[in-house]
Amino acid sequence: MSKTAANPHGRFLLDHGSSLPLILPATLLVLVFLVGPFGYMTYTAMTDLSFANPDQKGAFIGFDNFRQLMRNDPIFWGSFWLTVRFVLAAVCIEFVLGFAIALLIWHFIKRQRLLTTLLLVPMMLAPVAVGLIWRLLLQGDFGMVTYYLHKLGLLSKASAIFSTPSLVMPAIIAIDVWQWTPFVTLIILAGLMSLPKSPFEAATIDGAGPWRQFTDIMLPLLRPIIALVLLLRGIDAFKEFDKVFIMTGGGPGTVSELLSIYAYRVNFKNWNLGYGATVAFMVYLVVLILCSVFYKAVYWKSANIGGR
Amino acid sequence: MLRQSSKFSLLSTALLTTATSFALMGSAYAWSLEEAAAPYKGVTIRTIGEALPPLEAMSKLAPEFEQRTGIKVEIEMYEHSEAVSKVMLDLNSKRGRYDFIIQPHRELGKFVTNGHVQPLGDFLQSAELRDPEFKPDEQLYQRLWKEISWYNDQVYGFPFTALSMYMWYRSDLLGDEKEKEGFKAKYGYDLAPAKNWDQYRDIAEWFTRPDQNLYGTALQGKRHEALWYEWLNFLYSFGGDMLEAKSGSECGPVIVNSPQAIAATEYYKSLKAFSPPDTLNYFWDDVMALMQQGTVAQLIMWNDATYAVAVDESASTVVGKMGFDTVPEGEGGTIAQAEGWTYLIPTSSKNKEAAYLFIQWMMDYDQQLRQHLNGGATARPDVYASDEVQKLPYSKASMASNEVAKPKPTLPQSSEITDILVRELSSYLADEKSAKEALDRSAEEISALLGSCAPMKYPVQ
Repeated sequence: MSKTAANPHGRFLLDHGSSLPLILPATLLVLVFLVGPFGYMTYTAMTDLSFANPDQKGAFIGFDNFRQLMRNDPIFWGSFWLTVRFVLAAVCIEFVLGFAIALLIWHFIKRQRLLTTLLLVPMMLAPVAVGLIWRLLLQGDFGMVTYYLHKLGLLSKASAIFSTPSLVMPAIIAIDVWQWTPFVTLIILAGLMSLPKSPFEAATIDGAGPWRQFTDIMLPLLRPIIALVLLLRGIDAFKEFDKVFIMTGGGPGTVSELLSIYAYRVNFKNWNLGYGATVAFMVYLVVLILCSVFYKAVYWKSANIGGR
Repeated sequence: MLRQSSKFSLLSTALLTTATSFALMGSAYAWSLEEAAAPYKGVTIRTIGEALPPLEAMSKLAPEFEQRTGIKVEIEMYEHSEAVSKVMLDLNSKRGRYDFIIQPHRELGKFVTNGHVQPLGDFLQSAELRDPEFKPDEQLYQRLWKEISWYNDQVYGFPFTALSMYMWYRSDLLGDEKEKEGFKAKYGYDLAPAKNWDQYRDIAEWFTRPDQNLYGTALQGKRHEALWYEWLNFLYSFGGDMLEAKSGSECGPVIVNSPQAIAATEYYKSLKAFSPPDTLNYFWDDVMALMQQGTVAQLIMWNDATYAVAVDESASTVVGKMGFDTVPEGEGGTIAQAEGWTYLIPTSSKNKEAAYLFIQWMMDYDQQLRQHLNGGATARPDVYASDEVQKLPYSKASMASNEVAKPKPTLPQSSEITDILVRELSSYLADEKSAKEALDRSAEEISALLGSCAPMKYPVQ
């Protein structure tokens, strides 16, 4: 007796090629936890819903919130460009540093496992914990880092990092670099370890120097890994909230008011949920555009290199 | 004579009988907490509030209520903003997680107009629930109670804390003979607790000695509600206000960019020079810690934080070295800003009666006294009058501030008004804009937010 005759359901699932029952649980999860909330957020963005104002019960107002956001909300745009600058600065520094450290480890260190474990430490900390730790370290009166900065003459004794507007964003970027450079290092290191040796050996025989090998062989081969790292870090940095909220609350003034902090204020300080959903939608839209641009730029080139 | 005598005895008997029956009736209907709470025995009531000494004191008193009534009390304590946002989420979800809530009174309009909280008139008229000894209209500071717990002439709660801010100063420094000599030589008048803002700034300047780790004052300059609260004292004292209205629940023309408000704001920022370097990162906890460590000579601070600095020897190095007085006088007179956390019962509460009984019990003299002595800020003048409370070094300043405390908006949009002002004041402190630009921008946004009831009295050119 054949297997399919004994089990008609098995025949239905496998032989007839229907994958629906197999993907149904995952599809349901995506629908319930991603598509559903996203749809609700999109709808809310087109209402005037407010938990504070009793006159705003959630009436449908079309694209009014979007119009207000695009044309008449300088704070949103200030936060938006601040976030873009933060993402560019933090991710670029993390990438360059992370790549350099990964190369050094790959070339010169034999006991890589121990080192990679140590590298994991800042990443393993919850962002709130990182915010609290650095808030204490940089505290103006008794912060340890502030003390040494004063001692070394790198910071005036009449200044404190989080009370000096020009130093706030550089400090936040430095802290983000401290936390996330190890992530870049680990991923790039994994990529380096998986590189085939033959192209490098052939290039050496042909007389290519280390720089030529780096630019013409290593970088193209690592392109998908690099794309992945930049994409993940870019998305994560764009959503940055916890650390900055704990350390500065978006201040002084609007110096560190990233887009996520602005969204939090609109939603959970002012309870203007319709408008807050519009801000959140815009954050989503930017991340979506970032993803598709990166994906197309990098994977399309990788595919071309692969000869397809 | 006999007839007269028998008449008298008849009258006496009648009076005696009436008196006895009234006494019997009285004893039959005498109100007791145990009897009132009997129907709710075994019930658990849950509340939420800010994790500060008054709530910690309440949590120590609650077991006594539990023992007497069989009603269990669960208390959740969170940081200020967290305590507020958790309540908003619960009220809007209508889950009824909290049987009563303890919230800052600026939230009241939002709760009332959205139908989230229960008016307490019915409870106060209920013979079963109302303790005849509880007479809030006689026992509480009336103006504070009406400001903190009433909205549109209806009672929604009772003050958990009646808060105001006043001046804290180091009495040991201000009383030091050497300091007095030096100060008089420089400024031409005697060193004493500041009575006006000029004196306040002189004292701040005199005691600013970074090399000795001593500063003249400490501003709460972080982008946080604390900044707004502190600034209000300067605003009111200089004769300014946010809205032209008589009570917190009333809307009115926006005057937050008046010349007085601009002067107050510029003066406020001028004190930054005498505050520690990290002043733009401070809120109330930070400046309290600075005072406890003895690094600040004077500041404007909350009455409910005073205990931890002036009395608690385990936390403070300046116990016995502190003095307290009302906020210095300005063009607007001697004034303080009124704030309070209030007990409220959500409409979604599943145990409203049990919650009311607990609140009523907490408002009783004995509980109020014990809570106040452990860091509370009562709204009962008779508690302030007690010998034990009078012995606290800050009682007189606290009472005087309560007398001159001025209300602030409790409209449904009050959170947004606060947020606008916090952002703009913080921008001014961070040198992003001038005081006039910051307040003009605030006035425009507040006016747009409140609509036709709040035109701008000082239009922006």
